[in-house]
Amino acid sequence: MKLAILALKNLTRNRLRSLLTILGVAAGMFLYASVQTMQHSLSVATESSAADTTLVVYRENRFCPSTSRLPEHYLSTIERIPGVRQVIPIQIAVNNCGASLDVITFRGVPPETLKSYNPGIKVIDGSYDDFVNQTDGALVGQHLAERRGLSPGDKFEAVGVNVTVAGIISSDAPQDENVAYVHLPFLQQASRIGLGIVTQFNVKVERADQLQPVADQIDQTFKADQQPTNTRPEKAFFAETAKQMIELIGFTRWLGLGAVFAVLGLVANAVLLIVRGRVKETAIFQTLGFSRLAIGLMVVIEGILLGLVGGLIGVIGAMAFFHFKSFTLGNEGLTLALTPSTTVTLTGLGVAVALGLLASLYPAWKATSRPLVQSLNS
Amino acid sequence: MKPLISIKSVTKTFTKGKTTITPLENLSLDVPRGEFLSLMGPSGSGKTTLLNLIAGIDSPTSGEILIDGNDISKLSRAQLTKWRSVHVGYIFQLYHLVPILSAYENVELPLLLGNKNKAERRKTILAALDLVGLSDRAEHRPSELSGGQEQRVAIARAIVHDPDLLVADEPTGDLDRESADSILDLLNRLATDHGKTIVMVTHDPKASAAAHRALQLEKGRFAKEGHLLTPA
Repeated sequence: MKLAILALKNLTRNRLRSLLTILGVAAGMFLYASVQTMQHSLSVATESSAADTTLVVYRENRFCPSTSRLPEHYLSTIERIPGVRQVIPIQIAVNNCGASLDVITFRGVPPETLKSYNPGIKVIDGSYDDFVNQTDGALVGQHLAERRGLSPGDKFEAVGVNVTVAGIISSDAPQDENVAYVHLPFLQQASRIGLGIVTQFNVKVERADQLQPVADQIDQTFKADQQPTNTRPEKAFFAETAKQMIELIGFTRWLGLGAVFAVLGLVANAVLLIVRGRVKETAIFQTLGFSRLAIGLMVVIEGILLGLVGGLIGVIGAMAFFHFKSFTLGNEGLTLALTPSTTVTLTGLGVAVALGLLASLYPAWKATSRPLVQSLNS
Repeated sequence: MKPLISIKSVTKTFTKGKTTITPLENLSLDVPRGEFLSLMGPSGSGKTTLLNLIAGIDSPTSGEILIDGNDISKLSRAQLTKWRSVHVGYIFQLYHLVPILSAYENVELPLLLGNKNKAERRKTILAALDLVGLSDRAEHRPSELSGGQEQRVAIARAIVHDPDLLVADEPTGDLDRESADSILDLLNRLATDHGKTIVMVTHDPKASAAAHRALQLEKGRFAKEGHLLTPA
């Protein structure tokens, strides 16, 4: 503790240098935390868990909602397949099928089924009844509403579809917070797809171990139809359909790594400069009886403090940025909400501290390895 | 009486490139407890090397250095560091106070290595500052003190952990006459009234005259012994 206080006081000596180093670390850690947020959001959306029980039935060999067309009457056939608990037909209309940061997605669903199919949805403003009773009513995800400045009663238009906001929703599924749920028949007509045609069916099965057998059974059932299907678990569907987006996010991993090395170099350089500027003082401390370990620890603590303070600013800044900007990556009609997470925050701070520690090891060794008499005479 | 410092046939050599330098050669010396000893000599005579050996900052190439009966020439670097933290107070020519710390905090530094709690440390620090006449400057930073006051803080830092031995390397070399006299008077009191054994290196004959005994070093050997006062 005493050494930590001394180290902290030492950092205030050259305030400009410390401030610039901290800002550099903050910038690097902001980039690192941003990349990690994308990676984390992607893994939440694509990595399967034992609790997953949802299948997506899509048109075979189609990857965009505008080309995946399935007859709505498949619904009753799918419902009869053993293991199926509930099915919802969905018509999807998007303003951009390619990769985009501002994708608007309409999901047309039977309004009376939505609540029972997706109980995680909560209306936080407006009312669910208004949505059910209003043909052009829309339940808008809160991130989309924030992005577009929407509130209940507002009208908005996208993809040539005009809707009235009936309610703002939050959901335990981040993707739901970036879409607008509308009536299925309304969307079928408004998007000129035509009644009776849907983009996909989302199917809930009784147990996770039934995902594959039920998927196989669905595809087998429609194999000979004019519109054959390809059924996959929801997360696998996301991973396969949004390949471009995933590759892009995968690439950002290298940016994160670059940021880590930049922070490492920056802190190491700053601590090395600190140590070089205090050769004689370090010798004085040793003359007073401070051990090499104690002096090395003081140097390491300075490095850790630089990393920690910079990391706090950078990581918290990144989390605030994602919280307030509500970014959503869209690809092939699928949306990936970039949401701040506690895991990324804690990992980011841990990495910042570890980098500060790592970067100061060599300077700490350098500070204590020189013969004492030589340092005193420097 | 058993001397506090007993140096027996000490030689120190350095290698600089292909040249071997011998700043001290077969040197012996006894310093009684409570003596204020001055080491004089021209540059390169070996006086600072001898001071560093006595302070445990450096180790001899051969010979023994017994401080209070312990042969410190056999100690490792880590053991010497620990030994210094208990037994030695070092006073530098340029004071070498930590600029971001107050006088109080500078004096506190050697105590941070011990087991005293905050209240005990405070009592000891204030006593040390009082002894050097700076109790009213405790919260001042070095930049707010005169050279003489800075050296007094440095002396307080050197004595705060109550070491037996004080070593001073040109303690008045950077001070005006008045401040220098005041510092020498303080060192004299520390030896005479508080029983500290002081070894001081100086170029200044007037400073040397303040000591109980003065030794002249030339080319690594004692040339002549000066005046000798008996410690009170």
